[in-house]
Amino acid sequence: MSWLIHELRLILRSRLSLCALLLLLALAAAAVGIGLHEVARQHQAIERVGPLQEQDAAAVAARYADTGDPGSHAYYTFYGTWDAPSDAAFLALGLRDVAPFVLRVRALGLQSQLYEGETFNPELALSGRFDFAFVLIYLAPLFVIALLHDLVSGERQSGRLRLLLSIADGGSLWRRRVALRYALLFACLAVPVVAGMLLSGASMAAMGVVLAVVASYLAFWCGLSLLVAARNWPTVANATALMGGWVLLTLVLPTLANVALTRAIPVHQGVDLMLAQRQAVHGAWEIPREDTMRRFYDSHPEWRHSAPLPDGFHWKWYLAFHQLGDESVADEVSAYRAGLQARQEWTARLGWLLPGVSAQALLHRVADTDLRAQLDYQDRIAGFHREIRQFYYPYLFEDRPIGARDFADRPVYEASPGPSGSVGLHALLALGLCWGIGLWGVLCAGRLGLR
Amino acid sequence: MSPVRRIAREEWRALSRDRVAMLGLLLLTVLTLVAALNAAEHRRTADAERGRYQSQANDEFANQPDRHPHRVAHFGHFVFRPLNPLAAFDPGIDAYTGHTLFLEAHRQNGANFGDVRQSSLLLRFGQLTPAFILQVLAPLLLVFVGHNCVTRERESGTLRVLLSQGLGSGQVVMGKLLALLGFAGLVLLPALLALLWLAASGQAAWAPVLVLACAYAAWLLLWSLLVTLASTVFRRGRDALLGLLATWTVLVILLPRGVSDLAGSVVAMPTRFENAIHVEREYQALGNAHRPDDPKFAEFRDRILEQYGVTSIEELPVNFKGLVGTEGERRSSELFNRYAAEVFDLQERQNHLVDQYGWLSPTLALRRLSMTVAGTDLASFRHFLEQGEQYRYDLVQRLNRLQSGEITYADDTDPDKENRISHAHWQAFPDFHYQPFPVDQALRRAAPAGAMLLAWLAALASLTWLLGGRLGRAVR
Repeated sequence: MSWLIHELRLILRSRLSLCALLLLLALAAAAVGIGLHEVARQHQAIERVGPLQEQDAAAVAARYADTGDPGSHAYYTFYGTWDAPSDAAFLALGLRDVAPFVLRVRALGLQSQLYEGETFNPELALSGRFDFAFVLIYLAPLFVIALLHDLVSGERQSGRLRLLLSIADGGSLWRRRVALRYALLFACLAVPVVAGMLLSGASMAAMGVVLAVVASYLAFWCGLSLLVAARNWPTVANATALMGGWVLLTLVLPTLANVALTRAIPVHQGVDLMLAQRQAVHGAWEIPREDTMRRFYDSHPEWRHSAPLPDGFHWKWYLAFHQLGDESVADEVSAYRAGLQARQEWTARLGWLLPGVSAQALLHRVADTDLRAQLDYQDRIAGFHREIRQFYYPYLFEDRPIGARDFADRPVYEASPGPSGSVGLHALLALGLCWGIGLWGVLCAGRLGLR
Repeated sequence: MSPVRRIAREEWRALSRDRVAMLGLLLLTVLTLVAALNAAEHRRTADAERGRYQSQANDEFANQPDRHPHRVAHFGHFVFRPLNPLAAFDPGIDAYTGHTLFLEAHRQNGANFGDVRQSSLLLRFGQLTPAFILQVLAPLLLVFVGHNCVTRERESGTLRVLLSQGLGSGQVVMGKLLALLGFAGLVLLPALLALLWLAASGQAAWAPVLVLACAYAAWLLLWSLLVTLASTVFRRGRDALLGLLATWTVLVILLPRGVSDLAGSVVAMPTRFENAIHVEREYQALGNAHRPDDPKFAEFRDRILEQYGVTSIEELPVNFKGLVGTEGERRSSELFNRYAAEVFDLQERQNHLVDQYGWLSPTLALRRLSMTVAGTDLASFRHFLEQGEQYRYDLVQRLNRLQSGEITYADDTDPDKENRISHAHWQAFPDFHYQPFPVDQALRRAAPAGAMLLAWLAALASLTWLLGGRLGRAVR
């Protein structure tokens, strides 16, 4: 063990190394702190809107209580839905800062309500968040480079190389040094994350995945640094090559891939379905109301027994054509979602080539803040919206008045508690490739400095 | 030939033999060309698509059948935000904002269907555009290429020889700077050509294009100064490189994110959900504009009756329901605009906070200037939303006027009558024509950021001048 203490002392005595390690620890801790703060803010917002929404519903109920008219209740009452951040959301805030995590819907057409945006500052979103994913994917490799780029060349330039190699076996010496630096870098990242996950009560499984991501991503960069070091270039050339690699892997190739992806899978059906749904809904005013009801009863035979429409306006007709409007764009909706999912899947596939993308995708999956999480939330809203419709239809189609007690029984959004996202096995396998590079680097370590 | 130029020429020769420099330049040029072509193509298709949707929406509006005007007001209209031509250079926040705005009576909707919610996380790695390449990658190449321009002479001992031949150390540094500037010029060239092409082909105005060209030239000048300065100050090339890389990381990668995050937590934004409920409450207090007998409109009714010199609404020559609709829309729009302005003001406070950090990181200043001049910043987006709102207001009020003029009060209050008016009315409605953010205003807004860049330039230039002159003493 004496070598360990000796090497540790060497690292800590080097001002650059010590500063780098402390800075990484501070950045990771800050990112975890900022993430936890933001998650707490989102929890607070969700808690704030609950009572606010209740007051709003109570005001509607008070306004229409004496009418007993289920249609007015259905038309004017909004229902809150929310998507509470998962226990691991602080790691990678993802889409949560640009997509709504609280959304209110009512019994009218869902498709004109589901894509409502959130108020956020696009200029801030453009810069991105300072979360742990950012520290790991962008900054951590720079620290690996700072610590490892002159592993051998530094000794050579200071003239100690020959001496070192004469008293120790080169391979094991470099391996020991790299392993120690790797362990220190890992600790700087892992300690704040584990602390954050314990604080937020994330599951052991999530923690395991996150630590695996951190370990694998660092292994990739350490391996790459060793492979470059094995070329026996001078320090500056090492730094240039590694920084060039970092720029390619985290800045250039992902943006190029995004260009390719948006071109290969265009997604414009969103606007199409919105335009089509409006035409379908408003077109109902132009056709005989009985036609609309017939179409509605065809797909919803359970209300077929309802009394024929009276001469004047009737809410059941109004809500029926809203539902028909939603149903008429079902194909567009599934095409839109398929496009979004295809983009997500191709991004995951890209992870096999780009470790940064793979780590990013995995962290956001664990944090449950990616596109899939957003689509899941939309599914939950759609399910809840179905419940809202089911609640009002018996009153409307059986012409029953709705009383205060009935209204109190209205559906309440139950958020499925999402501890953290589940991670597919193949995504973890892609990370395994990182270890391939890491091991290759270690194998090359024996040749370091021998030229 | 002056000594400065001779040193520059020598440095150029060294650069042309430097494989990293040449490979880097080649890669960056190819990348810039790909980015420029892609961004131009993306802008063209996105703009064409939005134009197509706009004319589809215009057709759908005009081709409505005979309807009650208030039905038309609820059918509503869509407007699509056209993409500014300079978005082909710097798309700014375009991907992060919605481009589809639904306009209807008594509601103010947000713009939906932004790319950010429709993309995988790849978008968050940044977008490959000429602006991104110049802002982020070009400085890095200058660092790699130039970090050892002075240290190399110092480490190999040739600096001492040069100085002993009677050259001033300031002249050596100036020569090196000149050479690096030449290289920076090559880096800038492809993007510059793309930019000039936008103006020459008539897509963009010359003034913003020239300002952008100057701003990015200043940006690369700033980095050339910084690199030369580091190479002068540090004794060893590797130290200069590490110092510059750390500086680049902090200025270009770290601070923009950190400062944005800070601004977001210092000035918190309410969720749309909360705002909607607050608006709804105040809206209820304004009275229901669908019901002419709503007590909240009693005072309005008395005023109208007095104006027309009649005693009951039935005697009015116009449809009172339409008048109440007009008055209700006026009140509710005021309310919506107040809330919208509050949100915009919060956003502007956040942006102002970020802008202040331009003194700390010139990247922020350049980004502000670039987005503002390219017309892809928040102010320009706000400009679109406000025009959309104005168009919505005019549209709804025009329909309310049709209701009060074309339908009698007796008919309008008869539940058995549909009261449709001719579809010729909507065919006569004007289309939405977006007026781009005025160039002179954009330039004025960009001026503070320009001043920050100039201040950075002046500070770095004088430091280089000062320390370059002292280099001789350090060597001897």
